[in-house]
Amino acid sequence: MATTSSDITAPSDAPFVNPNASPTGTLTVSDERMLDNGDRLMTLNMGPQHPSTHGVMRVLLKLDGEIVVDCDPVIGYLHRGTEKLGEAHRYAQLTPWTDRTDYVAAPLNNLAYILTVEKLCNVEAPERAQYWRVIMAELSRIASHLVWLGTHALDIGALSMSLYCFRERELILDIFESFCGARLTTNMMEIGGFSRPIPDGLVAQIRNFLRIFPQRQREYTTLLDANPIWMTRTKGVGIISPEAAISYSLTGACLRGSGINYDVRKATPYLVYDRLEFEVPLGQHGDTYDRYLVRQEEMRQSIRLITQALDHVEHMDTPLMAYESAYVIPPHKGTMTTAEDMQRHFVWTIKGFNPPVGEAWCSIEHSKGEMGYYLVSDGGPLPYRFRIRTPDFVNLSVLPHMAQGAMLADMVALIGTIDIVLGSVDR
Amino acid sequence: MSDHDDTIQTPENETHSLVETPEELGWERTLYTDPDVAKHPAVRELRRVFPHDILEVIRFRDETTIHVTPAKLREICFFLRDHREIAFNFLTDLTAVDMLKLRTAPRFDVVVQLYSLPNRVRLRLKAGVNDGQSVPSLVPIWNGANWLERETFDMFGILFEGHPNLRRMLLPDDWDEGHPLRKDYPLRGWKEFPVYNTERTVPRSRTRWTGRGV
Repeated sequence: MATTSSDITAPSDAPFVNPNASPTGTLTVSDERMLDNGDRLMTLNMGPQHPSTHGVMRVLLKLDGEIVVDCDPVIGYLHRGTEKLGEAHRYAQLTPWTDRTDYVAAPLNNLAYILTVEKLCNVEAPERAQYWRVIMAELSRIASHLVWLGTHALDIGALSMSLYCFRERELILDIFESFCGARLTTNMMEIGGFSRPIPDGLVAQIRNFLRIFPQRQREYTTLLDANPIWMTRTKGVGIISPEAAISYSLTGACLRGSGINYDVRKATPYLVYDRLEFEVPLGQHGDTYDRYLVRQEEMRQSIRLITQALDHVEHMDTPLMAYESAYVIPPHKGTMTTAEDMQRHFVWTIKGFNPPVGEAWCSIEHSKGEMGYYLVSDGGPLPYRFRIRTPDFVNLSVLPHMAQGAMLADMVALIGTIDIVLGSVDR
Repeated sequence: MSDHDDTIQTPENETHSLVETPEELGWERTLYTDPDVAKHPAVRELRRVFPHDILEVIRFRDETTIHVTPAKLREICFFLRDHREIAFNFLTDLTAVDMLKLRTAPRFDVVVQLYSLPNRVRLRLKAGVNDGQSVPSLVPIWNGANWLERETFDMFGILFEGHPNLRRMLLPDDWDEGHPLRKDYPLRGWKEFPVYNTERTVPRSRTRWTGRGV
């Protein structure tokens, strides 16, 4: 390339376009293009232990001064072969594995998997369980967005946000602990509903959270929304056009920040979302600031959803589990007193169940985008194919597109705005 | 999405009609979930334009799966994306299934999950390929197929023709043990695990806390 550094205009005047840049990340250390431009371009290795990569991700950057010419995300450091392991576990055994994919929003992972199994087996959970699933899923969405907001703001420089966000996340984790005993990897959802009763005092605990959280969220917006530093670091950074968002198969806030109205809860409703009132926030410019606003608004909508669902379900006294189906674990009640109940429970737990031959795809609106599970059954107790479509794996592939022409200091903002969890990216 | 095959037949330049004309049935959303799968608008249009490439149509749990020939996968996806009425313009997922234990040939099914943003319906395409046979890459149509195809290559060893950068995705670049999601790949891998020394090198009495020193 014959250009020299004096030919490059400042990014504020005109977007820097590298004629030799690859359309997507195709950069390796031994790349020919790197050697050709070795006198002018610099390779910088970011990660895998860099704190702003939110885990173990490595980004190879090709820099021209402070401008990123090309970048190549290298992932797989946390690959545990969950899809292969899924073919060696029975259906009911797989729920804990789904916790470990996106570990900051474990109930949502459980929900996506359980809904897929229920679709494959044609089981429907009782109405009350579906409302409780909505409550837990929306609480989990808020918890996940709080982790995102805290770490994203921390990357950009607002240190105190992480302290505030994790303070409110504790309230949600306490609710999870009251509900199922675990805080992070909850293993909360079960095929057919919930087998344990709703604990006493849980409704009051959630009401307390619903009372506290909106005013705390106003504190966040007071701190960030009109903060000049925050706006300088996020406005106009990492712009994704609507066409690019669709072409890169983005989902979640990355897609809606570009103005495309696609929310799985509205588009193909699952659970009882079609009976609840909420709105889908959309961005206008597709930049980092818009995605921030979209996620803030999603938390407010989640509060609306939880309030409606809790009002509806608070005084319901109907069953929580669809025990009449053969694909659902038999009732635990009686296992310690009668031999028949004990045997039924034992055999189901040890042998599992055999779903009909076929395949099912079910996707939900995860906090990061569309999370889908694809199960192929050959009629045996183990899934023949267990596929997880995680939203952040697909969303992360837009990073080379966003990073071309960006400043090096904006890389942490770009990685943060996609909202990745490396356990979910690498599976 | 720049370089695609220009010889793709679109409904505008299509003159002959094999099945009923689309005007007779319309494009209502209910047709996508009609029990008669022949009324599915995508099936109807694909059978009209690609009469020899639609092998099988399966409906299970309100999901429609269309088996197509692998050589025409890209043309079919391009046709579905740019069709004015059915417009399956969103690639949700691309993966594969190793059918080794279920049938003799072809070995793999490449599974493409499509979604239509205007119509809000899903469609699944499947293309059966044998080991070593390549599938046309969908990267010219959707950039999102880039990483998904790399992952499918990594896990199954399926080659995508025309992919700009077909490298391993999740496994290390120097991984030489094959493709782990194949059914003939053992769960614990081909190689023996390295044996670590598990014997205690320090006697247990030296490490136990007695409260009175060691």
